[in-house]
Amino acid sequence: MSEPRREAHLVCRVGDLPPGARKLVEINGRSIGVFRLEDGRYLALRNRCPHRGAPLCEGRRTGLITAEEPYRPVFQRDGEILRCPWHGWEFDLTTGRSVFMPEAIRVKSYPVGVEPETSVEKFDVSATEGNVVLWTADPPGSQPVSAPRPEA
Amino acid sequence: MSSPESVVATPSRIRVVDADVHHNVRAKEDLFPYLSRLERDRLLEYGLPRNTGLHQANGGWRGARADTFDAGEDVDPRSNFPMFQRKLLDDCGIDLAILQVELTPSLVALADVDYSAALIRAINDWSLEHWVAKDPRYRLSLTVPMHDPVLAVKEIERLGDHPSVVAVYVVCGSTRLYGKREFDPVYAACVDHGLSLAVHFSNEGFGMNPPPTAAGFPSYYAETYLIRPQFYQAHLSSFLFEGTFEKFPQLKVIFCESGFGWVPAFRWRADAAWKELRLQTPWVKRLPSEYIDEHLRFTTQPFEESEPPTAVDQVIAWMNGARTLLYSSDFPHWDFDPPEAVPARLGPQVRRQILADNALLSYPKLVPLAGTVRA
Ligand code: FES
Repeated sequence: MSEPRREAHLVCRVGDLPPGARKLVEINGRSIGVFRLEDGRYLALRNRCPHRGAPLCEGRRTGLITAEEPYRPVFQRDGEILRCPWHGWEFDLTTGRSVFMPEAIRVKSYPVGVEPETSVEKFDVSATEGNVVLWTADPPGSQPVSAPRPEA
Repeated sequence: MSSPESVVATPSRIRVVDADVHHNVRAKEDLFPYLSRLERDRLLEYGLPRNTGLHQANGGWRGARADTFDAGEDVDPRSNFPMFQRKLLDDCGIDLAILQVELTPSLVALADVDYSAALIRAINDWSLEHWVAKDPRYRLSLTVPMHDPVLAVKEIERLGDHPSVVAVYVVCGSTRLYGKREFDPVYAACVDHGLSLAVHFSNEGFGMNPPPTAAGFPSYYAETYLIRPQFYQAHLSSFLFEGTFEKFPQLKVIFCESGFGWVPAFRWRADAAWKELRLQTPWVKRLPSEYIDEHLRFTTQPFEESEPPTAVDQVIAWMNGARTLLYSSDFPHWDFDPPEAVPARLGPQVRRQILADNALLSYPKLVPLAGTVRA
């Protein structure tokens, strides 16, 4: 029940998570999936589906599929939606919110970014490419260091 | 009937029985050793029959849990024996799992009943040799060519006494309702060999079978998913009013993946109809709900998700679910339920009954194991 500390955790070296890849890490006993999208953004969600507890982050990435009217499906935001590997609930990778009930059903998302310097002291830091770092609460200061989102 | 003691290395403690698991062959060649030269040549030339369904779509990834493709994209998880041991039996703590092979619907849709029966013999032999014999936690639900009851009886006579064969496996899609008297010899054989009858949806509107609804075919998989209870309701009405349970007082019928939210309403309507129309079927001597309590069992997956969540508890009470529900996972299908899908709030006693005791009491060959259940 304690308030989560603003802890930074090393995920891996930048080079170990190429665009399009994902990595499962265990932080404070929680399994978390860290994703690097093709455009360079880093995203992280808790690896536990709120439905029946499946390893959500082992699911497939897809796009946001909607329709303004019957029989006219539209596919957008390729790769930004994660489908649970079991029953297929869809979650927005960028927010952790479900597609079908974004207010009520969501999974925890974590800020992830790249730290160039030795902010994570206990780990060996590669100054050349930087470390992928995940914060279990808001990172110190302001926004997570993350590649800017390109226009949709 | 074979003695249950001859079952190989039965687990000493049984906490979870999974009544609906779907394995499969990896390739047609798996069946070659069990076929005659003629049948083998035919299978070689034309391949395994495929029931691709109406929609060319399913859920999950190709109908399976997307996290079960351990052996790669091109290996059907249903054929991955070590993955089953890991992700189903070990991870979910399943002590006994009843196998109902994925290929069954395709095989019972073949119009050439002799070829159908040959492939069915092969799949049963293969299942016993390559799955059941290799892990003592497996039991087999025997596929039979139900579209030819004479051949179905022959298959029961051939393998029905195998100690690990606990049920006969049929699908809902059929040219005739299963209470019709031409199926009676099949049920007589079930009773003679200590087997229950497992009924699972599939093949509705496929092959020789009539459309899945009175108004034809749905367009989307979600519709197909939702119309399933009517298949079971039709067969159940038939069993009840044809007097199947009067003729076979020992027969247990397991409805697999039928859902169960509909059961209370069906019981009420059936009882009301019987009171009003009983004179037309006087051989139906008791309230339909009494036959259902005694003869019907319902597997849990996909466990009803009610709103509010606790509303389903009342449904379970109305259908005597503490006695009539059997846990099932449907592994490795995408709509899989882990044992935790049976809610803890039902209490340890009821939960244990649904997870294990009810199943052990619903298959005659498992009844002797009922004393080994542990909380
Ligand atoms: S467990 Fe994720 S959708 Fe059911």
